Amino acid sequence: MSYFVFQLKRNPLAIIGIAILLLWIIIAIFAPVITQYTYTEMQPEKQLVAPGEANHLLGTDELGRDLFARIVYGSRSILTVALLTSLLSTILGVLFGFTAGYFGGRVDALFLRAMDILMAIPPLVLSMVVLGILGDSSIGSLTLIVSIAFIPATARVSRGVLLGEKELEYVSSARLRGENHLYIMFVEILPNTVGPIIVEATARFAYSIMMVASLGFLGVGLQPPTPDWGMMVIENKPVITEAPWAVLFPSLAIASLVIAISIFSDFISKVFTHEQ
Amino acid sequence: MDLTLIALRKLGSLLATLVIMSALIFILVEIMPGDVAQIILGQSATQEAVEALREARGLNDSLVVRYGRWIGNILKGDLGESVYMRGVSINSILWRRVGHSLVLAFAAFVIFVPLSLFFGVLAAVRENTLTDSVISFFGLATMALPEFVSGVFLITLFSVKLKWLPIVSVIPIGETLFSNLHIVLLPALSITFVMFGYVSRMQRSSMVHVLNSDYIRSAILKGMPKGYVIFQHALKNALLPSITIIGMNMGWLFGGLVVVETLFGFPGMGSLLMTAIKTRDVPLIEACVLIITIIYSVSTMVTDMLYSILDPRIRYQGGQL
Repeated sequence: MSYFVFQLKRNPLAIIGIAILLLWIIIAIFAPVITQYTYTEMQPEKQLVAPGEANHLLGTDELGRDLFARIVYGSRSILTVALLTSLLSTILGVLFGFTAGYFGGRVDALFLRAMDILMAIPPLVLSMVVLGILGDSSIGSLTLIVSIAFIPATARVSRGVLLGEKELEYVSSARLRGENHLYIMFVEILPNTVGPIIVEATARFAYSIMMVASLGFLGVGLQPPTPDWGMMVIENKPVITEAPWAVLFPSLAIASLVIAISIFSDFISKVFTHEQ
Repeated sequence: MDLTLIALRKLGSLLATLVIMSALIFILVEIMPGDVAQIILGQSATQEAVEALREARGLNDSLVVRYGRWIGNILKGDLGESVYMRGVSINSILWRRVGHSLVLAFAAFVIFVPLSLFFGVLAAVRENTLTDSVISFFGLATMALPEFVSGVFLITLFSVKLKWLPIVSVIPIGETLFSNLHIVLLPALSITFVMFGYVSRMQRSSMVHVLNSDYIRSAILKGMPKGYVIFQHALKNALLPSITIIGMNMGWLFGGLVVVETLFGFPGMGSLLMTAIKTRDVPLIEACVLIITIIYSVSTMVTDMLYSILDPRIRYQGGQL
């Protein structure tokens, strides 16, 4: 922990990144306190109000909805889905990758074959087709499907780190003690691989934001009335010449969040690689 | 190991993947809620009419029979008919769209490969200077930006403010993409951002690694010109990881195509797939996903092959990465 703080002091960019990420988390938690408007309230007389006018900090969209409120509330869904996705895809990745790497042989061959097939289709295309077919995405279905699309990446990383540990003496001594496979995998090996797995999970967090925003943009993410940053961009694209702010602000929200998380994950990966 | 043998083995595993993948795509799309016959005839159709159409289109046959028929037709070059655009054969719409997307992907490729390699090398040569920090930060930032976000920034600058390029990339009726090549520019640039981040960062780190190796140091110490050492000795070895990264990220590039084509209304296969999903056009979804899978798998295979050709060490280990 003190090493973490020591590294942080030497890295001003990481401080900015973490600060922006924390700011978005605070905004998501205290959304009702931050804005007086709701994200669904339409004011037909106030369509496409420019930023700063008529008491609308970031202006309004074509339906007269306050953009600031929609962005503030929109941070809740994207942060929730992305956080759950990075957690679930890491857990699934560890389960599959560890099982394949630990047992080796046929299990491993089958795993690699299955990953080849899953990887034959780009993750975004896979998620968008499945979500589009199922229709009516919820936080649950969105999280599950994006996590499955991420398994080839997360499982390969987990398998790789397990293979590095498997031949070490503490593993063979646990085996000689007669511990069962599950105990060896998750009580003996897992704690020793926590570093690279945390690095992978934080990187996954950035990918998840990118993916969830893109799916929202394509219209197969969370459905209205839930405000979704990606969807706000495509909704307001037709009026981009009259009201560029209605497209620009949600894009800036996505950009600031995703860049902050990238900086954060880059920092985490540096901290853990230096430690070894 | 012989190169042709590696190629044959890769081709075999590619075919196996495609067979399984096509079955999965088929099952996935077929279990989708909603009856194709009902969609064609509309909600007001009588039960008898729907039943008759189901029978006529063979929708009552078992899944295995239908899959066999679908694959059989594809092998004969017939991708079926679109459900939404009634009676229009998929062959007549899909291939033009595939061509457009390939032009777009190619344009993006031509922009990002030299740019990201150049800036990656520059950052490595100027390691730990301001130039390096700026390039590295720009790479980190663009790597994470979804394509539609960078697209929006580009539209706001070049179309709304400067009015240099069109906001939407549509081809006027009766004209071809090649007489309207300027509409490719903004979509291609939008895809470039993400790839620039990945490749320039990879190029930088592999170049730094190579520049710190003993043989480069001795080349410089024995008095060879620095430019010669960088381009003739270091770059050759430092290119390998970048090639892998470019290949591995072809998936992002294809996903990016769907997003960018939707943003610009560009008439490629990504926006066609999006329309197919929105209109629940089953045969069209199947055809699009199959084509994307084939193109993607082939490009991954080509990267693997290229890698074995460039790095003899891999060839001798049996072509496995």
